[in-house]
Amino acid sequence: MIDAGLETTTYRPLTGARAALRRSWRILSTSRDLAIGLVLTALLAMVLLFPGLLAGHPPNDIDPSRALLAPSAQHWFGTDEIGRDVFSRVIWGTRVTLGMVSVALAIPALIGFVLGLVAGFVGGPIDNLVSRTVDLILSFPSMITAVIITGILGPGLRNGVLALCIVYIPMFYRVARSATMTEANLSYVEAARSLGVRDATTMFKHVSRNIVGQLVIQFTVLFPAAIQIAAALGYLGLGVQPPTPDWGAILNQGKNYLFNAPWISVFPGLSIVVAALGLTLLGRGLQNILDPRGR
Amino acid sequence: MAKFLVTRILSMTVTAIAVSVVVMLLVHAVPGNIVQQMLGQLGAGSLEARASLESYFGLNRSLPVQYWDWVSTLLSGSLGTSWNRGIPVEQLVFTAFQVTLQLGLLSLAFATVVGVILGIISSLTKGRWPDTLIQSFNILGLSLPSFWVGAMFLVIASQYFDWGPPIRYRSFAQDPTVNLQIMLLPVLSLGLFNAAAISQFLRELIIGTERQEYVRTAYSKGLSGPHIYVKHIFRNVLIPLVSFIGVISIGVLGGVVAIESVFNLPGVGRLIISALQTRDYPLVQGGVLVLAGVTMLVNLIVDVLYVVIDPRITYS
Repeated sequence: MIDAGLETTTYRPLTGARAALRRSWRILSTSRDLAIGLVLTALLAMVLLFPGLLAGHPPNDIDPSRALLAPSAQHWFGTDEIGRDVFSRVIWGTRVTLGMVSVALAIPALIGFVLGLVAGFVGGPIDNLVSRTVDLILSFPSMITAVIITGILGPGLRNGVLALCIVYIPMFYRVARSATMTEANLSYVEAARSLGVRDATTMFKHVSRNIVGQLVIQFTVLFPAAIQIAAALGYLGLGVQPPTPDWGAILNQGKNYLFNAPWISVFPGLSIVVAALGLTLLGRGLQNILDPRGR
Repeated sequence: MAKFLVTRILSMTVTAIAVSVVVMLLVHAVPGNIVQQMLGQLGAGSLEARASLESYFGLNRSLPVQYWDWVSTLLSGSLGTSWNRGIPVEQLVFTAFQVTLQLGLLSLAFATVVGVILGIISSLTKGRWPDTLIQSFNILGLSLPSFWVGAMFLVIASQYFDWGPPIRYRSFAQDPTVNLQIMLLPVLSLGLFNAAAISQFLRELIIGTERQEYVRTAYSKGLSGPHIYVKHIFRNVLIPLVSFIGVISIGVLGGVVAIESVFNLPGVGRLIISALQTRDYPLVQGGVLVLAGVTMLVNLIVDVLYVVIDPRITYS
């Protein structure tokens, strides 16, 4: 994707690792959004991969004698009502929350991608059926759809992921469908057809490669909103259940101590903001590279 | 226009039926009903007690029969009676909806006013410091979970201003001052995110419109800048803006659910969540149906507004 953006400005193809590095540097130095977004996302990825390096305490270590302590040198984010270290819970929660959202977006991305590709390429009654169903889901506020699904099926990680999948399949589907419809009119598709290439081959081998970039962007664009929905579900007690350290679940538990121990609520919320901010900037940066008009 | 309205209302009816069937199927697909919950609270119930309660609620009948029963209640102009509270569903939903509607409309109004002002300022000062400032606000605002912002507002208000919203809910008709005090923080927390979204959208929209050929033509005709902005740019920006605010208003409806829980407001979101927890099927069905109806109505209003704003658009 990054290459595609640059080729519109320079026509000299650069090759080799050093050239690639130079190219990346040039893009990063011109796009502040992308640079900050990448740094924040990389930090989060580090925390997600190696939570044990940062967290000083195990996330579920209970010590009632140290309950509801304010932030200090020993407990940076304070402790909760049963003496667990909030900092460690937030750190381990990165893996739970962002891991859940990643899975809950990757599945609909894949399903939406295939459905959109087929509907956009084949058209006709298949397109009609899927598009109408998608319109139906999209006509509802995502938050309410998610609440109703988890409310009916019961709270928990699995149903939370399922709810997010149902909310996000339509959004990926729409992008994939419209991108495919644009591609289907290009001459390479016609050329493939006149050479006797089967439609399925054209679709999955050629068209799919050309639209996958847009889906990756859509993934980063939707990620911040998905974090917020996942956190809201956790907060309402419909998402990941305690004692698993999920940001939303910690907020749910901090609800009862909002005034005497606000630190339980402050820090998981800040983590949501940082994660959403990083991914928003990353998404904007990527969009700018692919579509530099308008800024 | 009349034909358009008729088709739309027909398709809305079909959607409403689809939604009610899906909700009905989902609700019944999950093990555990209100009878098990009631008996669970009393300790292990006998099989007889269970069977008699299930026949009392009509749960022993087949799904299509139960669905038809619900539809015929609907056709007689009622949403049924809540199993858990023994109150007509329409009464519960209506009372709760007033809270949700007031919160939603106030947040939307706040977000629109703030978002439009910020959007215009940042597009007019493109690349200079007010624009940079507003864009930072937009990006930050879009990253803030509104329910968490609400909780933080409560903490800040109590710690630094020694103030908290009144605890007992009062509607605007009952007591306007108390009502507005209750609504202040929820509206701000829900409005912030949406103001950022509107401001961001409007900025890109105005900047995109400035590049259009007719704007260049207007400049070359010697028209003044303010004239071009008011008569040409803003006029053309209005339609996409209205449709975006339509999208936002649906998002606001969704955001209300979590906000109601933060501020303990007796709105429709909390009503549905508690109905889901107690497996109060008539209340779930009625609440979801009304929500679906409102969502579709908002979409319809947005489409009708297009025609009012832009006479070039006709529906046939």
